[in-house]
Amino acid sequence: MEQKVVRLMRRGAVTCGEDVSIRKVAQIMAVNSAHYCVVINQKHEVLGIISSRSILKAFGRDLDQTRAADILLPHTFTITPNTPIEEAVRLMDRRKIEHVIVTQPGNRTVLGLLHAEDIVDKMAQD
Amino acid sequence: MSLMRVCDLMDRNVIVCGLDDSVKDVVRLMKANQFCPIVVVDPTGEVWGLVSRLAVIRLYGKDLSQISAEDVMRSYKVEVDPQWPIERAIDLMKRTRFEHLIIIDPHAGPKRPIGILSSFNVVWYMSNIATGHYEHTLRMAEK
Repeated sequence: MEQKVVRLMRRGAVTCGEDVSIRKVAQIMAVNSAHYCVVINQKHEVLGIISSRSILKAFGRDLDQTRAADILLPHTFTITPNTPIEEAVRLMDRRKIEHVIVTQPGNRTVLGLLHAEDIVDKMAQD
Repeated sequence: MSLMRVCDLMDRNVIVCGLDDSVKDVVRLMKANQFCPIVVVDPTGEVWGLVSRLAVIRLYGKDLSQISAEDVMRSYKVEVDPQWPIERAIDLMKRTRFEHLIIIDPHAGPKRPIGILSSFNVVWYMSNIATGHYEHTLRMAEK
């Protein structure tokens, strides 16, 4: 039977506001040992995601003046808990991303994240 | 330019597998080692490539015992010296779009891996946490 994302996703996410500096985002990620940070607005709606790759690409810019909103990957790459795992894997492969934001169907509230690690974990068990 | 070198920032715990090892074994190795990337070496210990998490997950649903590490690895092409300034390595990662760099022992004859520099190591470097921001950040989290 086709397995859904809800079986593997992690509830909750490391988040930051859109106006936070990249330096602060890097600190949030480092302290939380997270390879990503979800960017949300004041209504707690997802705007996008910043990966460690995005931070690396910003090297050379003024880290205290550049905002999270300037480097985020837009929220278009989101899935719902009912998305089949195969479809989520195809999205991650196509976009070369290791984290996909899981949102409520029909709105932009973050429910959690699906990590490449969760899929590797499942593959190791099968 | 900072005085930070690649060897100051890289992960020294390199997990390796053989060219003929199956992806099933690679996946188990990843799980047992905090899902780190696996370096592929030949029987002499010389590096041939790297298997990342993304390379593995695209095989979801397939028979992993029939696919070898050599089939899915990214071939080792770029030689990185542990004494390089960190800026040079970051510049290389930006240009090549590599998420991980394999660091080679410059004193050994064969190309032996002694570390891996990942984009997350660079996040640590760019966060300035090593220079004393760590406690400040933790206090902010408590507030």
